Amino acid sequence: MRHRPLLRTSYAQDLALLDTPAKRWWTGALLALALALPFLLTDDLLQLLAVCCVAAIGAIGLGLVTGYAGQVSLGHAFFLGIGAYTAAAISGDPAGRVIGLGVTDIAVWLPAAGLVAALAGVLVAPLATRLRGLYLAIVTLGLVFIGQHVFNEWSALTGGAGVGRPAATLEFLGQPLAVTDATATRDQKLYWLMLALLVVFAVAARNLARSRIGRAFTAIRDRDIAAGVIGVNLPRYKTLAFAVSSAYAGCAGALLYTVTGFFDPSSFSLLLSVQYIAMVLIGGAGTISGAIAGAFFITLLPRLTRELQAWVPFISTQPNEVPNVFQVETILYGVLIIVFLIFEPRGLFGLWVRARAYWKAWPFSY
Amino acid sequence: MSTTSAPTGTPGTDTAGAAVPTIAARVRERARATPHRVALREKIRGIWQEVTWAAYWDTAQTVAHGLLALGVGPGERVAVLAENRREWLWTDVATVAVRGATVGLYPTNPAAEIGYLLAHSGARVLVAEDQEQVDKALAVLDDCPDLDRVVYLEPRGVRGRYPHPALLYWDDFLALGTAHRVAHPGAVDELMAAATGTDLATVIYTSGTTGRPKGAMLTVANVDFAVRTVTEGGGLADPPPGPDDLLLSYLPLCHVAERVFTTWSSAGAGVQVNFAESVATVPANLREVQPTILFGVPRIWEKILATVTIRVASASPLKRAVARFWLRVADRIGATLVATGGRHTTASRLAYAVGWLFCYRALRERIGVRRVRYAASGAAPIAPEVLRFFMGIGVPMHEVYGMTENSAIATGNRPGRVKLGTVGEPQQGVELRVDETTGEILTRHPGVFAGYLDDPAATAAVLEPDGWLHTGDVGEWVDGTHVRITGRAKDIMITAGGKNIGPAGIENELKASAYVKEAVLIGDRRPYLVALIGIEADTVGQWAQRRRLPYTTYRDLSAKPEVVELIRGVVDEVNSRHPRVERIRRFRLLPKELDQDDGELTATQKVRREAVTRAFADLVDELYAPGGDR
Repeated sequence: MRHRPLLRTSYAQDLALLDTPAKRWWTGALLALALALPFLLTDDLLQLLAVCCVAAIGAIGLGLVTGYAGQVSLGHAFFLGIGAYTAAAISGDPAGRVIGLGVTDIAVWLPAAGLVAALAGVLVAPLATRLRGLYLAIVTLGLVFIGQHVFNEWSALTGGAGVGRPAATLEFLGQPLAVTDATATRDQKLYWLMLALLVVFAVAARNLARSRIGRAFTAIRDRDIAAGVIGVNLPRYKTLAFAVSSAYAGCAGALLYTVTGFFDPSSFSLLLSVQYIAMVLIGGAGTISGAIAGAFFITLLPRLTRELQAWVPFISTQPNEVPNVFQVETILYGVLIIVFLIFEPRGLFGLWVRARAYWKAWPFSY
Repeated sequence: MSTTSAPTGTPGTDTAGAAVPTIAARVRERARATPHRVALREKIRGIWQEVTWAAYWDTAQTVAHGLLALGVGPGERVAVLAENRREWLWTDVATVAVRGATVGLYPTNPAAEIGYLLAHSGARVLVAEDQEQVDKALAVLDDCPDLDRVVYLEPRGVRGRYPHPALLYWDDFLALGTAHRVAHPGAVDELMAAATGTDLATVIYTSGTTGRPKGAMLTVANVDFAVRTVTEGGGLADPPPGPDDLLLSYLPLCHVAERVFTTWSSAGAGVQVNFAESVATVPANLREVQPTILFGVPRIWEKILATVTIRVASASPLKRAVARFWLRVADRIGATLVATGGRHTTASRLAYAVGWLFCYRALRERIGVRRVRYAASGAAPIAPEVLRFFMGIGVPMHEVYGMTENSAIATGNRPGRVKLGTVGEPQQGVELRVDETTGEILTRHPGVFAGYLDDPAATAAVLEPDGWLHTGDVGEWVDGTHVRITGRAKDIMITAGGKNIGPAGIENELKASAYVKEAVLIGDRRPYLVALIGIEADTVGQWAQRRRLPYTTYRDLSAKPEVVELIRGVVDEVNSRHPRVERIRRFRLLPKELDQDDGELTATQKVRREAVTRAFADLVDELYAPGGDR
C-alpha cells in the first residue's frame, strides 16, 4: 500500500527486490549517477571504472560459489583465463599468429566464453562434492598451477609466455562498440557497456540468490549435512554453484582484457585468484552488492595509493626506492584482509548494514 | 454543580420504531456504492488478505442464509467466541441481517463463564474459533438447552476427530448458506426490509467487576445513534472518518468500544479495518498498518509509553541523549497543547517541526502511530501524564467516555478543544446531568440501552422511566462544558478520617510509571491508605538486568529489596502531589501477576477489587499491622 511499505497485500510485494520507496529512490539515484559519470570524469578514470565493472562481474561469480554456497575456491583465475582465451580465440583473426575463428560479435563470444568456463566448472565440481573447506581450497589451488602451465605452453592459443595475444573484439551486429566518434569517446562507451553488463549480471545473480537454488546454496554453506537432511541434493547444487560461478568468471575474463586490448598468460596467476578472494571478503561474503563494492575497492586501490602519495611525500613513486607505492599497495592488501576478517567479517557490506541498522532503529538501539 | 447540558443538534431524535438502517443495510449500501474498495484486511501466512465491500456483503449474505438454514429466527441470538477476524464481522452483520442479535464472548473466558453466558443469552448458534473454544463449548453444551449448533472456524484438531452432531465446519456452514440462498433468493432482503428500530441488534455482556455479567440489550436504533454520532456528529476525528482511514482492530469485539470502532464505524463511514494477528503482535501490526484512527484502552497506551521509556533508556549513548532531549521538548509541547486545548502555538509548532526531523517522525514510525490523525483512550480512566506524552510527540490524543449501557456514547474531547483530565464534552444529541446529591453522572439519548436481558430488577436500578441512565460514575462539570470523572460510585473510599477518596486517580498516577502494571488502593473504613502494587515484569526485568541484579521468576523479582525501593520512589513521587490524607502510607508488591483465570481480572483486564483484596488478605493485614516499615 502507498505510504505503508510494510502492509504487504501480495507475495509479489513481499518478494520485491526494491520493496521500500527509500530503496527505489536510492537505487534510481545511484544508477542515474553511474550513467552520468562519463560526463564528469576524465577518460583514464572511466577506463579504470570499466575495469571495475568487469571485475565486479567476476567477483559476483566467486561470491556465488564462496559467499553463498560456501565452497572456498582459489581457482578463480583459471576460469577467468578459460573465458578470456575462449573469447579471444573465437573473435581472433583467422589469418593471425594465434588461433582465431573470426567471429567478432560479442553476442557469440561472450556466451561462448561463459559456457566453456561453466563446462570447466562442471568438470571440477566432482572434487567439490567430495572435499570440504581447506582441502577444497588446496585442490582448487592446483587448478591455477595446471592452468598456468597449459596457458604458458600452448602458444598457438595464448601466444606464449611474455608475448601474449590480442583480446576479443568489441563488436555487435557488425558495429564496433568502443570506438571514439563524434558522440562519445572510446572510454565513455566502454564504461557504459561494462556498466550495463554489470547491472544485467548483478540482477541475475541477485535473483538466483533468492530463488530455490540460492536458498539451497545458503543451506549448504551453513551446514552441508543439515542441508542434505532437509532435502538439498548436495552433488547437484555444488555442481551448479561451480558451473554458475565459472560462467560468471568466464564472461568477466572475456571482457576484462578488451579494455586494454592485449593480455599474456602470466596474468592468470595465483595473485589474480587472491585478488578476487580479497574482493569477496573485503566487500562482504554472501552478498551481491558486497562483491561489487569489493571489486571496485580492490581495483581502485592502486590508484588510491598513488593519490595517497601526494599526502605522504616520503613514499616514493619510483619502484627502485624504498618505501615505494607498490610496496605500500601490497602491504595494504594484506593489512586490509586481516583488518576486515578480524573487525568486520561481513566486509564493506557489513559496514553498510551496520550504518543502516543504526538509523533504522533510530531513536532506539534495536 | 448540576447543569444539564442541553442536546446540541439531534442526529438521532425519535428513531425508535421507525425504519432505521441496520448495520447490515449500511454494509449492503457500501457494497453497492463502492464495491471494489477495501473493507477488511487480515494477515494470513504473512500477507494482508484484502476483502472488498462487495465480497464482504456477499459472504455476509451467505452467512445470513446459513443462519436461516440453521433455523435462526428474528429476535434470536447468535454467539461468537473468537478473536477479531473476518468471520466475526461476517457473522455479526449476517445476524443483524436476519434480525437476530449477536452476543460476543471473550475467547479468554473460562468454560464455566462461557456456559453461563450461552445459557443466559439463549444463543441458538455459536461460532467458535478453534479446538480450544470448541472444547469449552462442548463442556457446557448440556447446560445450554437453546444451543443447537456450534460452527467452528479452524478445522485443525476438530474436523474428523470430534464426532459430536452439533459441530459444523465453517465451510460446510457456508455451503449450507449457499444452498439456502439458491433455494430462497430473497429471504434475507425480505427480513432486512422488515427490520425496525426496536429490533434487538446485539447483547453485550458487561465485564462484571462486581458480580455476574449482565447482558445489555442494544437495539438497532441504539446502534444507529452510535454510528451516526461517531461518523457524522463529530464524535470522532475531524474531518470525520472516511474510506481513506485505516484502523487496527485488536481489542475484543465483545466489548462495546471495539465494536464501535471496528464494526460500526467501518459500516457507517467505510473505514478500512485491519485485524491484528493477536494481542501479542499488536506492536508489530501497528508498525505495518500505521493506522490513521487508533483507539486504545489505558493499558495499551501505558504499555507503549513504558516501551518507549525502556527502549530509550537502553539505547546507545548518543541516541539516548538525542531521544531524551527531544522527549523533554515533547513534554513542553505537550504542556502547551494541554494549555491551549490541543491547538499549536507558533513556538510549539516550530519546536515540533525541528523535533520531527530528529526524533518524532522516526519515533512515531517505530511505535506505529506515524499516521494517526485521531487517537482515543477510553473504557477506563487514564493518567493525564500518559495522554500528555502522546500529545507532545504529535499524536492527537482524546479521552472519551461511554459505557455499554449507552452504546459507548456519552462524552468525548473534541479535536482542538481538549481538556486534559476530563472526558470531554457531551456528544451531539446527548443529555448529561450530574446528580446534585450523589454526584453521579446520568445520561439520556437515543443510544441508551433497552435494558438488561432477563433482569428487570437490575434494569430498573439504572434506568429511570423517563429515560435517564445512571452510569455509576461520579463526576463534576469543569468550566461548564467538560466533564471530569472522579471515580466509580461504588469504589469511593471513606477513610476512618471521614475523607472521601476516589482511588482511580491515584492508581492511574502510579500506573503511569513504566514500572507499575497494576495498582490497587485500599482504605475504605481503614485508618489510612495502602496500596497493593503489581510490577511490570518486562520493564522491571530490564531495569534489574541493567543493574546486574540476578532474578529468576516474577515472584523473586518482586521480592527484591532493590525493586521495592524502586517502586517506593514511584509511590513517593505520587504522594508528593497529594495532600496528606490522600497519601499512600504503606504498600506491598504483589507476588504474582493478576490473572483472569484466577478471577482477579475481568475479561477486559480490569481489576476485581474484592477478589484481589480477598486473595491477598494476608498482605493487607500486614499493611495495617502496627509497626512495620512505614
